[in-house]
Amino acid sequence: MTQRFLKLAAYVVAVAALLAGAAVSAQTIDDRVRDIARQLMCPVCEGQTVAESSSELAEQMRAVIREQLEGGQHPEQILDYFVGRYGESILAAPPKRGLNLLVWIGPFAVLLGGVGLAVRTLRRWTHPPLPGDAG
Amino acid sequence: MSDLGAFAIRASLVVALYAIAAALIGARLRDERFLTSGRRGVLAAAAFLTLASVALIWSLVAADFSILYVAQNTSLATPLFYRISGFWGNMDGSLLLWAWVLSAYSAIVVLTNRSRNAILMPYVITVLMGVLAFFLVLLTTAADPFTRLQVPPPDGGGLNPLLEDPGMFFHPPTLYLGYVALTVPFAFAVAALLTGHLGPEWITSTRRWALVAWYFMGLGLVIGGWWAYHVLGWGGYWGWDPVENSVLMPWLVVTAYIHSVMVQERRGMLKVWNLALIILAFGLSIFGTFLTRSGVVSSVHSFARSSIGPVFVAFLMAAMLSAFALLLARMGRLQEAHHLESALSREGAFLFNNVALVAAAAAVFFGTTFPMLSEAVRGVRMLVGPPYYNQVFVPIALLVLLLMGVGTSIPWVEETLPRLGRHLALAATLAGAGGVVLLVFGVRKPAALSSFILVMFVAVVTLAEFARGTRGRRRIGESVPRAVYSLLRVNPQRYGGYVVHVGGLMMVVGIAASSGLSRQIDTTLAPGEEVRIGRYMLSLQGVLPYRDSTRIGIAVQLTVSNAGQVLGVLQAGKVVHVASQQPLNLVGIRSTPRDDLYVILAGVAPRKVRLQVLLNPLVFWIWTGMGVITLGTLIAVLPELRRTRRPVVNPAAERS
Repeated sequence: MTQRFLKLAAYVVAVAALLAGAAVSAQTIDDRVRDIARQLMCPVCEGQTVAESSSELAEQMRAVIREQLEGGQHPEQILDYFVGRYGESILAAPPKRGLNLLVWIGPFAVLLGGVGLAVRTLRRWTHPPLPGDAG
Repeated sequence: MSDLGAFAIRASLVVALYAIAAALIGARLRDERFLTSGRRGVLAAAAFLTLASVALIWSLVAADFSILYVAQNTSLATPLFYRISGFWGNMDGSLLLWAWVLSAYSAIVVLTNRSRNAILMPYVITVLMGVLAFFLVLLTTAADPFTRLQVPPPDGGGLNPLLEDPGMFFHPPTLYLGYVALTVPFAFAVAALLTGHLGPEWITSTRRWALVAWYFMGLGLVIGGWWAYHVLGWGGYWGWDPVENSVLMPWLVVTAYIHSVMVQERRGMLKVWNLALIILAFGLSIFGTFLTRSGVVSSVHSFARSSIGPVFVAFLMAAMLSAFALLLARMGRLQEAHHLESALSREGAFLFNNVALVAAAAAVFFGTTFPMLSEAVRGVRMLVGPPYYNQVFVPIALLVLLLMGVGTSIPWVEETLPRLGRHLALAATLAGAGGVVLLVFGVRKPAALSSFILVMFVAVVTLAEFARGTRGRRRIGESVPRAVYSLLRVNPQRYGGYVVHVGGLMMVVGIAASSGLSRQIDTTLAPGEEVRIGRYMLSLQGVLPYRDSTRIGIAVQLTVSNAGQVLGVLQAGKVVHVASQQPLNLVGIRSTPRDDLYVILAGVAPRKVRLQVLLNPLVFWIWTGMGVITLGTLIAVLPELRRTRRPVVNPAAERS
């Protein structure tokens, strides 16, 4: 039984390793432009990112991203450049700091709290109190 | 006609309030006659609202511009089909639709519970009519769809042209059919809490309603996505728009509920949790209507704005506070001896599936409400868009997917680790091997790759369940198709559920592939020039003026070929809706099961056009998956319409 379980664990590790390998695999310049464009909202459209929008402004912004990437700029610097020009509301998702952490951490807190509660409940259910215990 | 409609709305408000009074008096005096009268009040409310809705549709079709709502939402040029959909094209009409659907559902509840649930019914009627009365008060004050105009204009403003599409004809009513159905289980839950009759009756009476709500909300979301994909023209079908989110949240919570009620039906556990879930789901449906109709969020649905926000918030707060206060007050009665043989059981798996689904709903809730919070606290409206959901929602959704596989392979009551390992080993091996193959073939996006691996895992587990069941029946001499049919017939809830899972997996494949593996080329072409994407070669034939009954503009004709063989002509354009002067996209789509070729005309320069060409893989399977989900839901629900099932009492009845 332990052997079988170890095998299963080995699969999980192998798959995780594959995923990690996939994450760092090479990207083309187009991919990198799109990755950054996806993090910026198109200022003249409603609810579209710069990556999706077919507006002229979005196209220009994609060109600027490409230019800056080719000039060796770091993605963070490029995002900062656009924030400097358009304000924080250009970002498609809030940066992970200050009050914004609430939105990033909140759901995982709910998940962990829920798992804790479920584990406690299951423990209580599978080990009913002995007749001598109160409650 | 407007007088008739206005009268009918007011009359339905009166009979709704009367039904509440009669039902409560009947319950207090234990007098059947008052109760019968209250039931008739519910039916009368439905009749009056049907009259009001017909009056509004009639006025829209007849283009009676002496009614403000008609003048704003239709025009002489609007085709008949879209004159009707003007009904739900704006706030006042949508609220009337809400009320109409609720009154119709209430009538069905009354008619199907003539002899059943005698103790619960007065309070069920009270809650249903109370919610209805709230909407009717709105409809007689801030949102009266029959407000008259002193001087009727010669022509109306017309429907928002984005809505003149079959998708948008069906999307809002479908959503409302789902949303509003949540009020029924909520009403039964509150009635159970009020009367202290907290047994399984309220759940068996409302399980079908929960399924109906779940199905139509899902279908509405898919139709909305289909519309966005075909009409908006940005290559996607889901933008994490607050309005879409507002349906996704109750949908996720009801998904959790549909699973957790099975634990209560079989084992009598999770009573408090189920009550809390259904109260929450109802609250989210009201919250969603508020988000859509109050203009509190900037979104593509911004044509639906109003000033009724505070009233909605007050109603929502009152409903949630009183329902949860009631739940707390009844906590003592809801305690019962819990005993579970093993945490490694389907009961245990459902507990974790519920936690993950609620956490997924929480991710959507945080993301949807954060812009408002940030604006209130810091004065900056931070947007919470796709990057957030990709990093927060997607991992939780993948966890749900994993639990879907594990939960399916664990039987009720008790499972042992070696047996579980044996059941999962095959699925895990195949999924792992499939993952390696995909990796070799160049699927590198972690989210897409892990989705595919998990889909393969769950698919094998689910098919194994079918195989196991079929084998059992084969032993008693049935042929394979016959055996599958018997499985679906004998246990429709379970195997219908698995069919729904298969449809869900198809959708996940489509979503993961199209969001992770789509290719995009931005190009500028002159007539005669070509662009290649994947196996397709597109060549620009020419730029032509475009004109149809409501829109004018320009369109490009592109010949699509594959390996020299011409497959057809694709048209993409930019047009203006003449009546409203609103610019629109004409998207060129060539859809195959393998991928969608998707062309947007981005701009026109002298003798040249700018094109966005996308190749979105497997989108076809999103829509097909919804078809399979429909089939599975029908399998699960239909037999129940014919007979009222008794809850299964024997917990060990399932699976040998």
